[in-house]
Amino acid sequence: MKRIPISRCASQLLAPSPLPRRPLCPYAAAKHARRSIVPHSHRVQARFQSTVAVPDEGDLELEMAAHSGPASTSHSRSEPLPLESLPSPHPSAAERSTRLHALRSRLSLPTRFPLQALARTLVHPSADANPAFNNASLSILGRQLLGYYMTEWLLCTYPRLPMDVIFAAIEAYIGPKALATVASEWGIEAAEEPGGEIDSGLLQFKRIRTGDDLPAALRRQAPWKWNVTTTHKIMTTDEFGSEDAPPSPHALEKTPVPSEEAAQAFVRALIGALHVHLGSPLVKRFFRDHFLSRHLDISTLFDFRTPTRDLSHLCAREGFESPVARLISETGRLSRHPVFIVGVYSGRDKLGEGAGSSLDEARVRAAAAALKAWYLYKPAEVTVPSSMEGALDTSTWRPNYVDCGEVIV
Amino acid sequence: MPVSAIKAVAKPQNGVGAFILPCKSMTFHYCNWWGSSRGMNAFLKSSLPAFAKRNPQIQITVSPRPRHHPEIIANYINGAQESICVKNLQNEGVREKAELLRSHTGEKNRKWDGRPVRSLNESVRGIWSPFHGSKVKI
Repeated sequence: MKRIPISRCASQLLAPSPLPRRPLCPYAAAKHARRSIVPHSHRVQARFQSTVAVPDEGDLELEMAAHSGPASTSHSRSEPLPLESLPSPHPSAAERSTRLHALRSRLSLPTRFPLQALARTLVHPSADANPAFNNASLSILGRQLLGYYMTEWLLCTYPRLPMDVIFAAIEAYIGPKALATVASEWGIEAAEEPGGEIDSGLLQFKRIRTGDDLPAALRRQAPWKWNVTTTHKIMTTDEFGSEDAPPSPHALEKTPVPSEEAAQAFVRALIGALHVHLGSPLVKRFFRDHFLSRHLDISTLFDFRTPTRDLSHLCAREGFESPVARLISETGRLSRHPVFIVGVYSGRDKLGEGAGSSLDEARVRAAAAALKAWYLYKPAEVTVPSSMEGALDTSTWRPNYVDCGEVIV
Repeated sequence: MPVSAIKAVAKPQNGVGAFILPCKSMTFHYCNWWGSSRGMNAFLKSSLPAFAKRNPQIQITVSPRPRHHPEIIANYINGAQESICVKNLQNEGVREKAELLRSHTGEKNRKWDGRPVRSLNESVRGIWSPFHGSKVKI
C-alpha cells in the first residue's frame, strides 16, 4: 500500500469543477487541435501522453514511413517498409482489429474510448521498448489508481482491520494473481511473439523461455534494511506490504517476462487509460463493477497466534472488564467425540462463542471469534473520499470512522 | 506479531457487478458448392449481420471450407471450444444453433453433488446446532 500525496490524487488530470465542457479525452482534444496534420501521425500524437522522454525520433520516422503507403505523397521513400520491422502493431491497425472492437464491447466501454488507446495498453515494455508506444506509463498510473481506490474502500468499510490483513485483502483484490485472473476472464489472449504484423487485439510481450530464470528486476531481492517496519511497508514499498519496492515497468524493456506480469500490466494500463480518456467517475464505476464485485471473505484472512492474550489486551485497552471464558454447553465429555461450546464474557456481555472438541480449543476459538467481531466492525454508511472529487455539493459527505489501530502485544 | 494474514485471491462473480459474456469468438465455416451448406449460406447473407450487431462482444469470423459440411465453432472465456455441425439445416435452424453456442458458458455438463443450492456464502441461518434454540421432542 503506497500513500499517494494529495497533489497526485486522481483529480490531477481532470478539469477543476467550474470548467464543465473541457474535453476529458486527450485523444479527442489532439484530434480537434491537429486537423491539419497528416492522418497517419497517431503514433506521434500518442507520444505526448508519455511521462518518459522519447530518446530518438528515428524510430518514429521509420514507423511513419512504414505506413504512409503508396497513396500518400512519400517522395523520399518509394518502398514501404515491411510490417515485421515494427516492434509492435501500428496504432492505425487498431481500428481494423475485430478483437479490439469485441474487447471494448465486452468490457462495456463507451465508443468514445479510442481503440488506439486500448491497443496501446496491450503492448508490454518487453515487446516495444519505446515508451511512446508501450503501456509502461499507463500501468504506473493504473497501479496508483487501483491502489488508491482499493485502499480507501477497505479502510472506510473496515476501519479496524489490522495492517497485515489490510495488505492481504488488497493483494486478494488487486494483487498480481488477481489481476492476471481478471485479464483471463476478460478474454485476453497473448501473442506467441510480439511484432508489427500481428493483430493489435493480442497481448504483446516477450515470453520467458521454459526453464529460464526470472529477469533480475522481477527476482526477489534482499530488503534494503533488515528491520522492515510496518511504517516502511506503508510508506515506501508497494501496496501489498512487500519488503521491496515493485520493479518499474520501464526497467522491463527488452527482457523476457512471465505471462502473469504482462497480464497484470495490461489491466493496470487499462485503468490508467480509462482515467486519462474517460475521467475518474467512469474509472470508479469500472472499479466497482469489475473488482469490488469479486467475493472475498475477509474473516478467513486472519491468522491469530494467541487470541486469548490479544483479547485480554484489547479489553484492557478499551476499558472493558477482563474476558472470562465460560462453558455454555457440552456433550459427550467421556466419549470419543466430545463437543464443548464456550463463550467469552466481559462482565455480563458475551463477546464471542466457539465450539471445539476440547475445552481449550473451544476457548481459543471463542477468543478468535470475539477478536474477529471487533476487527470486522463495519459502519452502516460509508462515503469514500474519492466520491467527493470535483463535487460541488459536499453535504452528502460523512466523516469516516478512524480507529486507533490493532492490539499491540 | 499478534495477528498475521493468510494470502488469498478474491473469487469472481460474473454478473454481480459487470457481466462478461462467456462466448468470446465464433467462426462460421461454409461451402459454396455442397448442398448441405445452403441454409448456412442463407444465414450468412440474411441473418448474420443482425446477429453480429446484437452481439458486439463476440469476435465473428466467416471462412470458406470447401468440400466440407458447414460448421459453427465457438471459443469461450474458460478456454473451452464448442462446435456444432449445421449440415442440411435451414436458415432458422442455423440461427438457433448460433444462439445456443452464444448462450453457452463453455462449462461441461455435469451433475452437482446432490445439494439443491450451491453458493459462495453459507446459509443465513448457519449450521443447525443441537445446543441452541428450542428443544426438539421426539
